[in-house]
Amino acid sequence: MWYPAWALRRSDVSHDTPAQAVAEDGRVVARNQLAARAGVENGMRRRAAEAVCPTVVTIVQDLTAEMVRFEPVIDAVEALVPRVEVVRPGLMLIPIAGAVTYYGGESALVERVDKELRAFGTDHRIGLGLGPFAAQQSARLTTDDRPIHIVDDDARFLATMDVAALDSDDLAATFRWLGITTLGAIAELPRDAVISRFGRRGMYAHDVALGLDRRVDPRDIPEDPRIESHFDPPINDIEGAAFVARNMAQRLIGSLSSHGVAPHRVIVTARAADGSRRSRTWRSSDPFNDRTLAERIRWQLRAWVDGVSAGIRGGLEVLILEPADLSGQGRQMVLEEDAKSYEETQRALMEVQAIAGMDNLLVARPQGGRDPSQRVLWERWGDEPSQPDHDLQAPWPGGIPSPAPALVPPEAVRFEVSFVDGIPEQVRLRSRWVPVLSWAGPWRSVGRWWDGETSADRYQIVTSAGAYLCEVREGSTYLLGVYD
Amino acid sequence: MVAQLQHQRSIPIDSTRDVLGESLTIEPGQIAGLSGIPGSGLTRVGLSLLAPYASAGHVAYLDVRGWVNPAAAWEMGIAPERLIVVRTDDIVSWSRIVATLMSGMKGVYAEVPTGVRDVVLRKLAAKARTTRTPLVLRPLNGSVPSGVAHLRLDARTITWEGAETGHGQLTRRRALLDASGKSTRGMQRMIEVEDDGTNDLRVVPGVGAEEIRRFA
Repeated sequence: MWYPAWALRRSDVSHDTPAQAVAEDGRVVARNQLAARAGVENGMRRRAAEAVCPTVVTIVQDLTAEMVRFEPVIDAVEALVPRVEVVRPGLMLIPIAGAVTYYGGESALVERVDKELRAFGTDHRIGLGLGPFAAQQSARLTTDDRPIHIVDDDARFLATMDVAALDSDDLAATFRWLGITTLGAIAELPRDAVISRFGRRGMYAHDVALGLDRRVDPRDIPEDPRIESHFDPPINDIEGAAFVARNMAQRLIGSLSSHGVAPHRVIVTARAADGSRRSRTWRSSDPFNDRTLAERIRWQLRAWVDGVSAGIRGGLEVLILEPADLSGQGRQMVLEEDAKSYEETQRALMEVQAIAGMDNLLVARPQGGRDPSQRVLWERWGDEPSQPDHDLQAPWPGGIPSPAPALVPPEAVRFEVSFVDGIPEQVRLRSRWVPVLSWAGPWRSVGRWWDGETSADRYQIVTSAGAYLCEVREGSTYLLGVYD
Repeated sequence: MVAQLQHQRSIPIDSTRDVLGESLTIEPGQIAGLSGIPGSGLTRVGLSLLAPYASAGHVAYLDVRGWVNPAAAWEMGIAPERLIVVRTDDIVSWSRIVATLMSGMKGVYAEVPTGVRDVVLRKLAAKARTTRTPLVLRPLNGSVPSGVAHLRLDARTITWEGAETGHGQLTRRRALLDASGKSTRGMQRMIEVEDDGTNDLRVVPGVGAEEIRRFA
C-alpha cells in the first residue's frame, strides 16, 4: 500500500500550485500532479526541478512529521489485517496470506482495504504481488484512474520485468551489456554464478527475480534476541525516549552482529505506565543498522505520542525491540570487541544517563585549537558525532604545547598572580601566597581583534604546589588550566 | 662508587617490582585512593592507573568539579572513544552513579565530593571487589578512609622541568608520592614517578624508593 506523494500531504501545501518535496540530499522525493505535468521527476535535483517548473513550491521532507500523519492509516489497515510492516511513511507491506481466506479472496480483501483507506483520501495505491519487491513494482503500475493492481501470474510478472526495476543503474547497465534485459533472464542464471560475479547485489537481484526477496538466511541465531528495557520512573519526554531508542538499537544490532546476522524486520513494542501496550512492525529490504533502526523507533514513538490516538499515557515504562527475518548480512565485529561486555557497558551508561541526566554523560573528541578548552569537542553520549569546530590537522601556531593540563575550568576563572616588572613573583592559592619557582611565557595571543576578542598573554607558572596555565587579559589574570 | 652507594641507600626497584612494578598499576577489583591538592599531579596518576583497562573497553571518569580535561587522558593512552565522562556534583546520586558505572565499565575514576560518608566508600569498595572493577577514588577534601584502598597515594612534592625564567616550556615532571596499603604489603614507601606527557607514568628506578615504616 503506497502513497506516491505522502510527503506532500501537509496542510501548508496547496493542491492548486505545483509542489515538490525534497530530501536532505536535495533530490525530489515527491511531487504533485501539476509539478509532474510541468516536468518535475522524482530523483531530480531541486535546482533542476525548479528550472523546469519555476513556480513549484518546495518543501523539505520531514519524516518524523510524516510518520505522525501516517500512523492513523496504519491503525486503520491493521484493524483489517494484523502485522502490517511499515517500510517508511507512506509505504507499508500488508502480508495477506491469512487474511485472504478470511475475506474471501484477494480481490475482496483489496477492495476492503481500499474502502477503508478512502477515509484518508483517494491518492493511495495498492499493488499485490509475490513478495515485497513484486508488490511494490505492482503498486508502481497503478494510475490515478486504476489505483489497484493485482498481479495474476507472479512468475510471468517478474520474468518480463525490465532490469531497470532493480533501482541500480550500474547493475542494470552491466546486465544489459551481458545481454540480460529482464528479471526472468536473471532468474535463469545459476545463483552461485550471479553471487560470484555481482556479490550481494547480485544475490538480491536473483532473489527478487525469483520472488524470494523475503527469504531469510538463517544462521546461528541467538535464542532470545529481543532487547527489553524497563524505565522507572517512566520516560515522559520524547527526546529522552529517542536517546533510549538509539542505545537499544545499538545493543540489538551489536548483539545480533556478534552472531553474524542483522534484522530486516523489527517489532517495536511500547508499554505505557497505565499498562496499555502498542506494537508496530518495521521492515527494510536492506538489513537495519543501528542508525536506521533508531531512526524508525524515533519516528514510531513520535507518531504514538503526537498522533491522534491515545499516545503513551503516563510515560514510557517498557520498550521492547524484537528482531525477525534475520539475514547473514550482519556486520562483522572487530577482533577485540566483546559483545557481552559491550551490552553491559551500554546498559550501565543508559542507567547513568537516567540518573545524571542526558547532558551530563559525555564523550570527547580531539579537535584543533590553541587553548586546552578549544581542543576538546564535547558531545553527549549517544549523539551522532558532530562536525568539529576547529580543524585538527591545521597547524594552530601559538597553541599551548603539551603536556595538556589535566584540569581545565569550564570558563576562565580569576587567578591572583603578583607581577613585579612584568615578572610573576607570587601566586595566591586559597589563603596563602606561594612563590613562583619558574615560568614560561608570556606567549602573546592576539585573537580576532576585528570580532572584539582582546589580546592576552599566556604563562606557564610553576610553584612548589604545582604548575598552572594562566593568561593576563585587560589587566586581570585568569586560570586556564592546572597541570594536575 | 657513588652510584653504588646510592643504590645501597635506597630500595632497588627490583625489590618493589612485584608490588608497584616499574609503572603504577592496580589489579581488577582493587581500589586506589589518591589524596593531594589540585596541581600535585594526581589526576594523571589516576588516569594512568586506568589506561591499561581502556584497551579492553570503556573507562569512566566521574567529574564532580567539571574540570577534567580529556586531553590528559588521551596523552595517558586512553583512546577518546573509550573514555566516558560523567559530570555530577549531586552527593545523593553520586554513589549510585559510581556503583552503576562499575557494573559496566572496565575501570572507574571517581572524584569524591565533600560529605560522602565513609560507609558509602566502603560499600563501593566491596562492589568494586565483587565486579572486579578497578576503582580510583580522589576525594576533593581529605583522603580515603583506612582499609578501603589497596593502594593509597598521597602527594608530597612535585617538580617541573622545562620552564625557566620566562623561556622554555613545561616538559617533564617528577612527583614524589607516599604509597601505602595492601599493594605495598603494609609498608609505606616513598616513590617517585616521572611523566613527560606522552607516555605512561614511570616509577623512577632506584630513586627515593625507601621504606619509611611498617604498619602495625
